[in-house]
Amino acid sequence: MNKDDIHVDISNHIYVPKHEIIAKQEAEKVLQKFNCKPTELPLIFENDPAIIKLGVKPGDIIKITRQSATAGESLYYRYVVEV
Amino acid sequence: MSIQAIKSINAIRFSVWSPNEIRKYSVAEITAPETYDEDGMPVQGGLMDGRLGTLEPGQKCLTCGNTSARCPGHFGHIELAEPVLHIAFIDNIYKLLLATCRSCSRLKISQDEIDEFAKITNRDAVYTIISRKRIPEQILEKSKKTKECPHCGKKQYELIFTKPTIFIEKTDIGENRLLPITIRERFSQITDDDIKILGYDPATARPEWFILQALPVPPVTVRPSIILETGIRSEDDLTHKMVDVIRVNQRLKESKEAGTPPLIVQDLVDLLQYHATTYFDNEVSGIPQAHHRSGRPLKTLTQRLKGKEGRFRGSLSGKRVDFSSRTVISPDPNLDLSEVGIPETVAMKLTIPEVVTDWNMNRMKKIIINGPNKFPGVNYIVRPDGVKIRLDFVEDRSIIAKNLEVGYLVERHLSDGDIVMFNRQPSLHQMSIMAHHVRVLPGKTFRLHPSVCPPYNADFDGDEMNLHVPQSEEARAEAMLLMRVQDQLISPRYGGPIIGGLRDFITGSYLLTKDDTKLSVQDFSNFAMLGGFNGVLPKPKFNNNDDGSSMYSGKQLFSLFLPKDFNYVITSKWSKGTNGTDKDVVIKNGQLISGVIDKSSIGAEEPESVLHRIAKDYGNVEAKTFLNSILIIVKQFITHYGFSYGYADLELDDNVQQNILSEIENSYAKVYDLIEQAKNGTLKLTRGLSSEEALEAYIVNELSKARDKAGSMASTSFDENNAGKIMAITGARGSSLNIGQMAGALGQQSRRGQRLHKGYNNRALSHFKNNDRNPDSHGFVKSNYRDGLSSLEFFFHAMGGREGLVDTAVRTQQSGYMQRRLINALEHIRLEYDGTVRDPHGHIIQFLYGEDGIDVAKSDHGESFNINRLIDSQKIIDVGKPALQNEINLIAKKYTKSFNPRLKKVVLESLLLSKLSMEGIEKVCKKGLDLYNKAKVEPGQAVGIITAQSIGEPGTQMTLRTFHFAGIRERNVTLGLPRLIELVDARKKPVTPTMDIFLDEKIKSSRENAIKTARNILQTKIGSLISNIETDYATQLTLNFNPSRLKERDCKIETIKTTLQSNKKLKVESSGNTSLVLKLIGTHDAPSVIAIKNKILNTTVKGISEIERVTLVQKGDQWIIQTTGSNLPKVLEINGIDTKTVRTNNVSEIATTLGIEAARNALIDELTSTLEDQGLEVDVRYIMLVADLMCSRGYMQQIGRHGIAGTKDSVLARAAFEITVPTISHAALSGEIEKLKGVTENVIVGSNIPIGSGIVDIYMNMTNQN
Repeated sequence: MNKDDIHVDISNHIYVPKHEIIAKQEAEKVLQKFNCKPTELPLIFENDPAIIKLGVKPGDIIKITRQSATAGESLYYRYVVEV
Repeated sequence: MSIQAIKSINAIRFSVWSPNEIRKYSVAEITAPETYDEDGMPVQGGLMDGRLGTLEPGQKCLTCGNTSARCPGHFGHIELAEPVLHIAFIDNIYKLLLATCRSCSRLKISQDEIDEFAKITNRDAVYTIISRKRIPEQILEKSKKTKECPHCGKKQYELIFTKPTIFIEKTDIGENRLLPITIRERFSQITDDDIKILGYDPATARPEWFILQALPVPPVTVRPSIILETGIRSEDDLTHKMVDVIRVNQRLKESKEAGTPPLIVQDLVDLLQYHATTYFDNEVSGIPQAHHRSGRPLKTLTQRLKGKEGRFRGSLSGKRVDFSSRTVISPDPNLDLSEVGIPETVAMKLTIPEVVTDWNMNRMKKIIINGPNKFPGVNYIVRPDGVKIRLDFVEDRSIIAKNLEVGYLVERHLSDGDIVMFNRQPSLHQMSIMAHHVRVLPGKTFRLHPSVCPPYNADFDGDEMNLHVPQSEEARAEAMLLMRVQDQLISPRYGGPIIGGLRDFITGSYLLTKDDTKLSVQDFSNFAMLGGFNGVLPKPKFNNNDDGSSMYSGKQLFSLFLPKDFNYVITSKWSKGTNGTDKDVVIKNGQLISGVIDKSSIGAEEPESVLHRIAKDYGNVEAKTFLNSILIIVKQFITHYGFSYGYADLELDDNVQQNILSEIENSYAKVYDLIEQAKNGTLKLTRGLSSEEALEAYIVNELSKARDKAGSMASTSFDENNAGKIMAITGARGSSLNIGQMAGALGQQSRRGQRLHKGYNNRALSHFKNNDRNPDSHGFVKSNYRDGLSSLEFFFHAMGGREGLVDTAVRTQQSGYMQRRLINALEHIRLEYDGTVRDPHGHIIQFLYGEDGIDVAKSDHGESFNINRLIDSQKIIDVGKPALQNEINLIAKKYTKSFNPRLKKVVLESLLLSKLSMEGIEKVCKKGLDLYNKAKVEPGQAVGIITAQSIGEPGTQMTLRTFHFAGIRERNVTLGLPRLIELVDARKKPVTPTMDIFLDEKIKSSRENAIKTARNILQTKIGSLISNIETDYATQLTLNFNPSRLKERDCKIETIKTTLQSNKKLKVESSGNTSLVLKLIGTHDAPSVIAIKNKILNTTVKGISEIERVTLVQKGDQWIIQTTGSNLPKVLEINGIDTKTVRTNNVSEIATTLGIEAARNALIDELTSTLEDQGLEVDVRYIMLVADLMCSRGYMQQIGRHGIAGTKDSVLARAAFEITVPTISHAALSGEIEKLKGVTENVIVGSNIPIGSGIVDIYMNMTNQN
């Protein structure tokens, strides 16, 4: 998928939760909290339509704020990888 | 573990044997094709050479000196006269030949590219974790195109691979066969660095080792010969195959030495290659199978490992066990729920080891004297020095009994109170194996309480069940703590009870608790005693009866066993089926005030029932004793009451019968009328349906109304005390539909949801006229089961009946395979101590289980606790004035700190409405927090397996009917099991893609605008606008358009003209109002003109490709466009739609256009609605886990061999699932290491599995000991 392929802003779609890049420091904290290597996090491709406009590069960690049926709101993290 | 394992396997490395290694490990070169000589002695240098190990118990191995019990066997080898290709690596050989230069053996990509790829593989930038895997593929693609080696500049030739083992190079001088020798030479020149980029580990697998120079000969223990009764020795298939190899090898060697012409030698080489190939795999396509003398194909190495009965799945993942038993089951309502009745004969075979102590000495002595043949007795005694005494052979057991000492181990008979595990296959969920207490009974069957049938899914039509006796103290403790029936009352699938009353227990409790049931004091006392009541009897409700006696009510009897502070309100099924009073069942302070107890109160699989509430509020043990008491008295009550059902209960009044018949006649008349209307074309058409389809739909509708009416007429004519009606209304068995079919009319028989039309020419059975329109001739059955069917009706009924049978058979297969895949994909996933859900290699699937960390099995119907229940029970005892709002806020804030946002909100809202006093609020909050903490999942929990079971098990209950027409609607979608499989398969495109398109805020209420938008979405091809096309094959095509269609689709000739201009083969000559003349450019023959014509017809002039049909549906005041076919990216670009809420059922399309997170949400939505649609309740947490797992790698992964199960880190787990042999050979060439962290791997090597109680170990700090 190419950047130009998407003309419509999809970030408002009900299925798309909020994605944000987190700072290096915070990312460190996340990894420490879960005591894991970055590759042990769930992954997301650098060209995923939901993050393509955030200007991500491989190696970033994305924080996702999900609407949850059980908890109301919950956090999820994904590690950005090359396609 | 009572005995510590002395050795444990840490890891297994897979590698390819080099010829040198083969020779190094070999203890003998095998040269002789004979196995035994005339004396029956193994031939030296033959396949049964004594150095390869020993088979017979007395013999000693010539290599290691051990007897057959201890000798592991030793490899030999055959020196091949000519190298051959190893069939398991044939694909790798082909790829390597393609990727490397024929002259210098470097990779056929430039040094820069090599460096680039090497950098990626070596620098270990972790974010290349996925992209890295595609490198070999990319290199192969690039090398294939290279015509000249970038390193040495030599020309490269085309390679032809004739399966299975022939490679031919197309050189300038002609075709040249690549012999194994040449391939070997080329491969040995490949540098280590080059193959590393291709994913090989040069230390464990050099490519030249794929060409065999020496063939390892497995030890005799691998291929034991058996001696038949006739005394003839019969060799193993592998030995036979090795003999073939040796023979050909010998001949080849001789002819080479004798200087035979190369052509003949080549034939022999090919034959050797054939035998070597079939030795490894006898199912290679392209070559004939090797057969045994009897004609049976040989079972060689691959066949030994592969498939269900192969080594992996048959012998390693599934093991046979001792101390188990299997027999037919039968019911016994007099047993306790948690008991199992065991025949004495079985109890005398199964034993439990018990160590003699001072405290059990006397009992042990007594049972030892009883011996093995008198129950309860002893079969074996193990002395502390390890000697085992079999009591069968002991003449005077009293001597042994007298000499019995503390520390002896007695293997005694199974007896009352022992704990055993009981199981019925298929074991679809954890409740398929439960722990029961033994009750030794006469008879020959296992006995179980009918109420534990639902978790096992057992009935008594000949079902058999298995029983396992745990042998260690730890195993018994674990069974007792985790597996007993009362601990499985609540199903982890939905957090509700799965065990409860059923059938006659339901009828009985209705009969007992209905308003007019009276019990004499005598009866009441008897029942109370039977239920185990030991308190003060209450006062009888009815005093001063006609005869002056006092009577109890049935409700009083029921109330005896309720907890004293129990409060409860529910609407009974009976009430729903009769007068419709809401919340008729009222229990206050442990007294049943009003209403009847039926399925909704004590039934199995009924959430929110009395049983569920007791289990949640008072604990599982209380629930079990309650259920036991109620069931036993209900059983006694209904037995004495006398409840039966027979023909007489189905008899209808003559006039009712007449009415039913005339009702059906009426419907027939209406059907004829509809047919007449259709003939005249006056039938009102529903959009999207042809007149024929519409007629059929109307007829089906009319006839189903007729059946319903007949059924309800029959059903209502029976009075309230009719046994069938009682059963249907209370939910004990059957439905009013069943009664209607027995007494009224059977109704329409169908096949694939359609009436029966075909079978013979234009008729369903040969007894009808062609094209008969009478409903009778299309499978409508007017008769009922009671009166019996006519022979024609009987045939129709059999047609429908067969579909049901086929459906069940297919469904069990499909859902079974889905279950296996789910289990395989999820088995190793567990909850870690930090609350995350991970696989054993540390990959996180979820950061908090179910996003709230609540265990469904410990939850209250999915909720950590039921706040309203807490408030209600507090209300009864609450005193003091209601708390103020800010007081409530304050208290709630204090206690709900650890709660998640949603729960916080729910709790606060309920508290604000509760009107409780401050103390009351505080108490409720405290209790809530306590329950919340108790409902959390525990570390080690096998959340993966439970998830797989919770989704797989309901699969067996789903319908297989693929399509479903919701009423008379034109959109059909895949539902049920096929849809569920489609979703977990992560298919690129579902069978029936559809979209729901909502409109923009501004235009959503206008039909006009909706139509306009729909026209822009619907794909319009020229073919669908045209009325006819005139073809002049030499020069031109004339398209004549249908004006009404043009208008309908809102298309203009001009737009069509412009679209056609892009077609290079023709020129738009002239255009009229409704026609276009197209001039062909160049000359064409007839077929190509037709091709051009078809291309024109298929040209899209308007709308979005893939969208085949649109329908407008009004929901509330807004219009929604529903489509057949899906194309999300294009639809998003259409003006006038609400881009926020567009939905498609194509999940992988969502993944590509909206991203992986959106796909995960869509997957959850689709799975939930598929399951809900079938009326199956599965907690969202499980669906979330599956969705998270499928989306955890950034793309949609299938649950199956191409997805999660295929990308597992463990070699053994992958091999045990599917594609066994290629998995292993691939593991060998990349030098994979099996770390034995998952479940299957550890089962295979025989260690403890690292899940649940298996991850817990006791650690001791040795330094602090002294």
